[in-house]
Amino acid sequence: MATPTDLLQGTLDLLILQTLVLEPKHGWGIAQRIQQVSGDVLQVGQGSLYPALYRLEYKGWIQSEWGNSESNRRAKFYKLTAAGKKQLAAERATWDRLSAAIGLVLGKTEEAPS
Amino acid sequence: MIVEFSTWLRYLLFRKSPKELDDEVQFHLEQSIAAKMIAGIPEPEARRQALIEFGSVDATREECAQQRPGWWAGILAQDFRYALRGIRRNPAFSLAVVLTLMLGIGSSAAVFTVVDKILFRPLPYSDDGRLVSVGLVAPIEPQEFMLGGSYYEWQDNQKPFVAMTSETGVEPCDLTEVNAIRLDCAGVESNFLPTLGVTPVVGRNFLPSEDRPNAPKVALISYALWRTRFARDPSIAGKMIRIDGVATEIVGVLPQDFEMPRLQTADVLLPESLDVAAQRRADPGRPMWAFARLKPGVTAEQAKAQLEPLFQYSLRLAPAPFRKEVHYTVRPLRDRQFHDVHRAAWILLGLVMAVLLIACANVASLLTARRAGRQHETAVRAALGASRSRLLQAAILESFVLSAFGALAAVFWAEALLHLFVAIAPGGMPFLSTARIDARVLAFTLSIGLLSAPGFGLVSGLGRAPANALTSRGGLGMRRAGLRQLLVTTQIAASLVLLAAGALLTRSFWNLQRQALGINDENVVTATISLGQTAYPTPERQMAFFEQLQRNLRWGPGVNAVALSDSLPPGGSHHDQIYASLRVEGQPRYTSGTGGNVAWRWVTPEYFRTLNIPLIAGSGFTDDELASANRFVVLSRSLAERMFPGQDPLGRQVHLASGAPIAQDPPYTVAGVAADVKNGGLAAGDEPEYYRLRRNRPEDWDQWAVVLVKSGLPAATMERWMREQVAVLDPALPIEQGTLHERIAKLADQPRFEMLLVGYFACTGLVLAVIGLYGVTSFLMVQRKPEVGIRMALGASKGNIVRMVLASAMRMVLPGTVAGLTLALGLSQTWSSVLFKVGPHDAATFLGATTLLIAVTVIASLIPAIAATRVDPMTTLRVD
Repeated sequence: MATPTDLLQGTLDLLILQTLVLEPKHGWGIAQRIQQVSGDVLQVGQGSLYPALYRLEYKGWIQSEWGNSESNRRAKFYKLTAAGKKQLAAERATWDRLSAAIGLVLGKTEEAPS
Repeated sequence: MIVEFSTWLRYLLFRKSPKELDDEVQFHLEQSIAAKMIAGIPEPEARRQALIEFGSVDATREECAQQRPGWWAGILAQDFRYALRGIRRNPAFSLAVVLTLMLGIGSSAAVFTVVDKILFRPLPYSDDGRLVSVGLVAPIEPQEFMLGGSYYEWQDNQKPFVAMTSETGVEPCDLTEVNAIRLDCAGVESNFLPTLGVTPVVGRNFLPSEDRPNAPKVALISYALWRTRFARDPSIAGKMIRIDGVATEIVGVLPQDFEMPRLQTADVLLPESLDVAAQRRADPGRPMWAFARLKPGVTAEQAKAQLEPLFQYSLRLAPAPFRKEVHYTVRPLRDRQFHDVHRAAWILLGLVMAVLLIACANVASLLTARRAGRQHETAVRAALGASRSRLLQAAILESFVLSAFGALAAVFWAEALLHLFVAIAPGGMPFLSTARIDARVLAFTLSIGLLSAPGFGLVSGLGRAPANALTSRGGLGMRRAGLRQLLVTTQIAASLVLLAAGALLTRSFWNLQRQALGINDENVVTATISLGQTAYPTPERQMAFFEQLQRNLRWGPGVNAVALSDSLPPGGSHHDQIYASLRVEGQPRYTSGTGGNVAWRWVTPEYFRTLNIPLIAGSGFTDDELASANRFVVLSRSLAERMFPGQDPLGRQVHLASGAPIAQDPPYTVAGVAADVKNGGLAAGDEPEYYRLRRNRPEDWDQWAVVLVKSGLPAATMERWMREQVAVLDPALPIEQGTLHERIAKLADQPRFEMLLVGYFACTGLVLAVIGLYGVTSFLMVQRKPEVGIRMALGASKGNIVRMVLASAMRMVLPGTVAGLTLALGLSQTWSSVLFKVGPHDAATFLGATTLLIAVTVIASLIPAIAATRVDPMTTLRVD
């Protein structure tokens, strides 16, 4: 089942885990953070953000907790678990390998035509 | 890993509250609105944009729910409940499917188990495919045998075999030690085990030097005997035992799965110890049974062709009357073991496969009918948002659940059928009693049952739900219905053939049971006794025992008559000789061929009175003749009429072994003529018969006798008393008891088995055909529902509607009936050999079978017909 959706989904998981490394965040915060850091290139659709959060939580990689937001409103904060940290390391390694490989391939094809 | 698993388990068991997500989404929206308002968008517009950006909250909610582990199982459980509800809501349909699968799969599993034992059982010999049975075939003995006079010539000169070996049969023998027991001892040639490819598990095989007359006695014992009698003593080889009083050395133990090629029971193998030189000269020589291992690449047919010159040699040895009637055969050992059963097994397998196919077709047809009936519902579900895959999944699941029920029922059905087979099978069906539904057969059953589920589900689920099904009549093709109608017609034809066969066999069995046997089996108890060689080594001792027993029994309570014989009618275990060897004193021998078989047995005077066989002429045997030095004989009426046409046989002298030297062919005086008695089994033709008198002389006795007691006491009491009387004389003597009635009933086992088996298939075929008809008729009725509605609205009565449905059913039934009748009448000629006193074209039988079939099919089509009359015209009209 190697469809493009899988790749995107996996990437989103990686981004969410990475975003939570520094501190626990709520859903809105995560989406904003990804958008900011990527310089507005990556926009996380809410339609896929929440299912992804649920999926990660069900897998035990993140944990949720109700707390108070900056504006002192009740919000649900997500926090990376130990298992999540391990998963992040593994996914980062996979990603690095993949992007390096893609880079190699693209680099070669660029040279070829001229 | 552990953390992840425990999280998974926690969420599998506990659900998150839906409110959490709602709060979270609410917070998200508020943040979004706040952010937009900071960017300067006024509040209502910011809210609108935020909501648009977020998209469907419902979709998010559903997708989040789908992330939960076990969500899929939840949906499956929902579909499963839905399927169960569907099954419960339509019990007739569900029952039809389960019944079809149960009959189809259950029957095939049971039959496969039985057939597996016969056709595919590996024989316990190495490379068993190359083992053949070799021998002569004569009318006296339907299965091949050999004679010492020919065997050694064949063995020396044969070319197609690697090796050829022989056995001389199994005889009772006694292990005469402390706790003496009766055993079965088989005589085999020294190359017997090597030819079969069997190696003893302990010790060694016989040496050629041990297979000679007067060689020191040696024996191989069976694994069972080694275990029970010698406690698996590993140093058994070399141990001395006494067999029939003779010191014998055990040289080895046979493997646990060893069996004789003719499947006799044998506890001990002894060397044949034949005098080969004498056998070569002898005519005809010792009867024996020969087996051989084919050279690689040689077939049984080629081997037979190569043996032709040797057969010609044997034919020259045979007495002139036999020459025309003797053949020879070389056939695989497996064929010999299963003789007639072999072909029957293949036919049975074919039958059951046909039943299985019909069953599968039925289920597919039923599920399609059901789907057609639920088109409306499916369309509603699709309109409410059920995806195509979800609907397909539900359809497959429903048929899976039904198939699982069917498969489960089939396992029980197969088990029950197998018990039935074992219970009713005649003793001649080898290995049936050890047949069990084994794991392979179970897997076969379950996989057919469960694999058919997705298949049936796809068939019934794939037809696309037409978008217009909500409003108008459905469009499921009539072409597929046409195919199904043809299938039903075929099923009806096939089941009529089976029904006719079943009915003919039932009539035949009825006739068999009611025929006159010529004897009266009431109140007669029998006991078969075989005296051991050790305790009763001489005819004097044997006679003394039997005469003492006869005297003791004669004055017992309620005893009317006591007789001793060596065989009993109508079983056919009597002595046989050819008519040409009988001769009336002073007349020439019969010379044109063998003249057919004549049966005879040894009897005591009261034999005729015990069995109520009337004496037509003469007084039979009396006490005078018992003490006489002369020999006496009673002829059956048919034999008397043949030997003495138009004359009075009483007092005339006959020779019973003419052709033999004078000393062995003494004259017998005819002392009476008895009425004919059935003596060739229940169904076979009867042979002329004569009775020799067992006088008070040792020469008339041997170790075997059947004791017959006619009394007024209940059979059980009588049997116990007889056992006691035998035990008084010899407590260690085993006897085999039973009433004469039981013995005769046993002879009917084979025809009863055939009748029940064919009857079972006839009923199965009928039930399946009826279910098929029901399925197709229901399907057609769903198709025609709007039409029925219109007709009723226009004033058609319920009777009209029922007639209409019946007519459409009869359009499938009648051609099937005609085809079936034609086929059955054509085929029944081939059954005539197993029919007894009923013609293969018996009008009443065929009429009965046809009536039954039509009656049952009418009832089956009445159910959908009556359902059709309940159609509310207004509903159908409105839907249209």
